[in-house]
Amino acid sequence: MDNELSALTTIFTEFYYWMTVVLMFLIHVGFCMYEVGASRYKHHQHTLMKNTLLIPLVTVTWFFFGWWIYWAFPTGPGIAPSIMTESTGLILGGGFGANELANPTNALMAINLNDHIMGVFWAAFLLFSWTAASIVSGAVIERITTFAFGIMAVAIGSVFWSIDAAWGWHFDGWMVKLLGYHDAYASGVIHAICGGFALGILAVLGPRIGKFSSSGEPRNIGPRNPWLVCIGLFLIYTGFWGFYAACNIPIFDLGPEYGMEGTTFFTATNIYVTPTTLSGITMNFLLSLAGGLLAGYWISKGDPFWTYSGGLAGIIAASAGNDLYHPLQSLIIAGIGTAIAYKMHYWVERTFKIDDAVGAVAVHGYAGVVGLVICGFVLWGYPSSGYDGYAAINPMGMIIGAVIMFGVLGFLPGWILAKILHGMGKLRIPRDVELAGLDYNIMEAASKDEKAVASSNR
Amino acid sequence: MEATVTNWVEHLTASEVAGQVYPYVGTEWVWLTIAVIFWLAFTVSTAIGESEEHDKLARKRHGANDYKRNIAEW
Repeated sequence: MDNELSALTTIFTEFYYWMTVVLMFLIHVGFCMYEVGASRYKHHQHTLMKNTLLIPLVTVTWFFFGWWIYWAFPTGPGIAPSIMTESTGLILGGGFGANELANPTNALMAINLNDHIMGVFWAAFLLFSWTAASIVSGAVIERITTFAFGIMAVAIGSVFWSIDAAWGWHFDGWMVKLLGYHDAYASGVIHAICGGFALGILAVLGPRIGKFSSSGEPRNIGPRNPWLVCIGLFLIYTGFWGFYAACNIPIFDLGPEYGMEGTTFFTATNIYVTPTTLSGITMNFLLSLAGGLLAGYWISKGDPFWTYSGGLAGIIAASAGNDLYHPLQSLIIAGIGTAIAYKMHYWVERTFKIDDAVGAVAVHGYAGVVGLVICGFVLWGYPSSGYDGYAAINPMGMIIGAVIMFGVLGFLPGWILAKILHGMGKLRIPRDVELAGLDYNIMEAASKDEKAVASSNR
Repeated sequence: MEATVTNWVEHLTASEVAGQVYPYVGTEWVWLTIAVIFWLAFTVSTAIGESEEHDKLARKRHGANDYKRNIAEW
């Protein structure tokens, strides 16, 4: 920063990402409220602690290796050459974004007077990681051990989503280059993968006691505190504004970046460094929220839980292409995604006896997959990147991308890890604890304290 | 021990400003090792504690509605 203009640009970018982090914190506040509101009284405190603990667990592991993975794996490794190093191996050094910067012992991974971006960029990605783990958290409430969830949170938050982001949410990612994969606001790289991961765990974990009758009919275990759920989902919506903003680079001169001699074009870009505007994506965000809310209300016949969840599913379904869609396209795609997610939730529940306590697999997984597939058709032919040699966006590339996100990096690792933990006897809490309630000891101690206080006279 | 920065004017007017200003520059691997040990110790210790707590509670064989006796009205 040797002049006022470059200083202003740098400090603006630094502050921009800092603000997204603050806003995205509300996603986690919302998830905590939502989950506690959905859980039963005797499990409240453990449910809250389980979700809260993912903050420190994912944070430290994201510092140790999650961020490093993101910058190391864009080439696969071994699938497509990096535009930074031209090698197909792990990216271990070189120009901007090269992996030595993300090494936890590197000089830039701390206060550094010569850098204003690394820390806030790391933090913005970390907040995505919390969201990833939090999506899984809601599905498995009231029966998973905190230990098992901690392992799962680190796996999805600091390993698997980091790999998928390197592959499909990076200007140098092989999925972008070879498949024309496009996922501007993370329908797949956050939502589909986490929905798939949660489904993999649920398939092994099994339903809550009493969820299914002896004849296999599902019973509704509705939210115990609908008001907390409502406020939680509103906070998640609020945090999503920060999520969308964090997916952009706020100011970038694409002229020299794309090698256009003599051309200057300052713009905001998405993560792939292709142009969009914060203004336009704000319209798309709102219209997709509206589409999801309308479809959720309509298809669930006014059920509040699914109306709110529909709003979220709508945003998620439209997110892949919300950097380019017309707002009315966002509205319609959101409505379609929400309706499919709702129908799929009940079909999977009945057919496979899957107990997804908060509908996370549907809202994030199915809506995310639908969003990716639709994006492949609607944006068919658009360039996936401004750099040379990248495939254009196309339906087959997006369908393969959806399978990789939901199935290969989501369902499969979740299922395998759950199997391992189940084999060790560490996945599910004992039956008697589930019946008594995870909070039984805490509640008993509080009750004794209350009796002692009430009967004392001095 | 000498601080990384002892004079801001000298630091900022150097021909090449050193970005790192945190204490003990060059010992990052030590801090990383300690942090990893802390994380692993937390994971193992809390896992053992959770198992013990569950075993203890499971042995009492409470019913599904017994918790209602413990609802405190503060």
